[in-house]
Amino acid sequence: MNDLSFAGASDFVGAGSEPVLSVRDLTVEFKADDGVVHAADDVSFDLHTNETLGVVGESGSGKSVTAMAILGLLPKTAEVHGQVLFDGANLVGATERQLQPVRGDRIAMVFQDALAALNPVLRVGDQIAEAMSVHHDLTKRELKGRVIDLLDLVGIPQPGRRAEQYVHEFSGGMRQRTMIAMAIANDPDILIADEPTTALDVTIQAQVLDVFERIQERTKTAIILITHDLGVVAGIADKVLVMYAGRQVELGTVDDIFYSPRHPYTRALLASLPRLDRRHGDERLRRIKGQPPSLVFLPPGCAFHPRCEYADLGGVCTHERPALRDVGHGQLSACHFAETLDERTPSVP
Amino acid sequence: MSRIPPPADVLEAEPALADEPGLAPGSEPVPRTNWQLFRRRFLRHRLAVVSLVILVLLFIACFGAPWLAPYPRHPSAADLLLGTSGGPSAKHWFGTDDLGRDQLTQVLYAGQTSLKIGLVVALLSTVAGTIVGALAGYHGGWIDQLLSRVTDLFLIVPSIAILAVALKKFGQTPNWILIVLAALGWMYVARVVRGQVLSIKEKEFVDAARSSGASNRRIIVRHILPNCIGPIMVNMTLAIAAAIIAESTLSFLGFGVQPPDNSWGLMLSQAEGAAAEFNRFYEIFFPGLMILLTVLAVNFLGDGLRDAFDPQSEH
Repeated sequence: MNDLSFAGASDFVGAGSEPVLSVRDLTVEFKADDGVVHAADDVSFDLHTNETLGVVGESGSGKSVTAMAILGLLPKTAEVHGQVLFDGANLVGATERQLQPVRGDRIAMVFQDALAALNPVLRVGDQIAEAMSVHHDLTKRELKGRVIDLLDLVGIPQPGRRAEQYVHEFSGGMRQRTMIAMAIANDPDILIADEPTTALDVTIQAQVLDVFERIQERTKTAIILITHDLGVVAGIADKVLVMYAGRQVELGTVDDIFYSPRHPYTRALLASLPRLDRRHGDERLRRIKGQPPSLVFLPPGCAFHPRCEYADLGGVCTHERPALRDVGHGQLSACHFAETLDERTPSVP
Repeated sequence: MSRIPPPADVLEAEPALADEPGLAPGSEPVPRTNWQLFRRRFLRHRLAVVSLVILVLLFIACFGAPWLAPYPRHPSAADLLLGTSGGPSAKHWFGTDDLGRDQLTQVLYAGQTSLKIGLVVALLSTVAGTIVGALAGYHGGWIDQLLSRVTDLFLIVPSIAILAVALKKFGQTPNWILIVLAALGWMYVARVVRGQVLSIKEKEFVDAARSSGASNRRIIVRHILPNCIGPIMVNMTLAIAAAIIAESTLSFLGFGVQPPDNSWGLMLSQAEGAAAEFNRFYEIFFPGLMILLTVLAVNFLGDGLRDAFDPQSEH
């Protein structure tokens, strides 16, 4: 890779092979009335074939904006800088005409609210067929056969009959599976799923995640899974990218992130979750004090310092923006004290 | 690690969900497709159903006139000499005009022109208006500005005057009347479609279509317009009524259809002398009734269609 500071990234799962997608210093800004909104700031990661990257963070942390920027789906008011390298081309700044063959065919997207993202007046089967006929010349017969195979693959019973129905006749789980069927219709290299399970109850959530795993087993598709649910990430991801206020605060394997987090924000997130695999009978769940900052008026220095228990207030944390750096075997953290977090005493909230 | 236990197999877990709407075996059949729901909602609108029947009968009667009309369209001189002007009778249901022609026959043949103009003008102006409105609404920016200002321009010109001048120039044949009426009637549909497209293009399924690599044209044609079909259809029925009235007005003023072609408006115009004589009321009454009936029926039909296309409408 051209950026040496990310040499460590190749230590991850899928190491050795060329990444299928490289995001470098991706920055998204919106001009608002009271200033510039820094929706995503210097996001960088690599994605390999057969790998699942979980992107986590609170609402407004820049997860969805990053995903939309990869496919060039942001409105024209967005200013996007940096690089999204896919198949030897930089997708940032590419024209609609250049992006159209990539979208849906090579990189596909699953939206959060399947009911809103599916067209209410098209039959489900026609809609999936539409996604294919955008890119491939197939006969009606071939399309129909493929549609039924796809619905079957994502676990929709009686696919032949279901294909004739409309979205409003589907249950929530089936709608989301239909979205997934549509996204994988052209065997994409990369699947971006933006909160695909957020609107679903836990049972259906598990079924949908299982569909993702089965798809990956079959097609080796790389998956970017955006979610605010750490449980989902723990279950399915290989690598985790933690975002806060549009910035990338930590990137590591799922074990690194869950067992040796190197950023106070990741630690705080984990401490706020009930965990079955660790017994702390006396320990109560802890909330993160304060609110996420405004993306227009970010705190100086580290954006997390006003809420951070480990912060050197008035010192380096309030004055200097921490660089994202390798803190051991490829785990990246953007904290001034990443290496010495365990030695620091957290301030009592 | 808080791994969510996945079910053994999604496919096996499915039967538990089998009692989902629409597929329950043994339950009474509920209308499921949009078409079935549409038909049910439409049939609930009694007035619209009656209107549809009236319109269908009118079409059959007018375009079946060569077989249904009691007398030939162009009576021979001998017939005319024998015939006399007179009110409705068993022999001439709608009476005869001052030349002794059977009014029922004339009304049916005239209806061919009036209905054709109404239908074709509505079709042309709806297609043109939909294209303009969809492009303006979808693209926004300067394209919207340009198309919307052109639409406004067409809306503010005095259409009757333009129509009269244009028809004097091109000739007052039914085909030219069609074209000129359509050229001056597409703006209403364009405005409605633009508004619809403006709201629908913000829906997430449009983003989803864009993310699947669909081009702008494909998104408009395959994803946005099918969602506007209700308002478009309703405006088309309104355009039918407007075109029939416009044609009648033009013909009455002498700028419309010319003999030997005939239309309901022209019949009214030719009977203008009858307006002064009450005992010849039938010469105005029947063509007027036909216009009234058609326009009313078309408007009620539009009402019914609007309700039927709106899934939220409940009676």
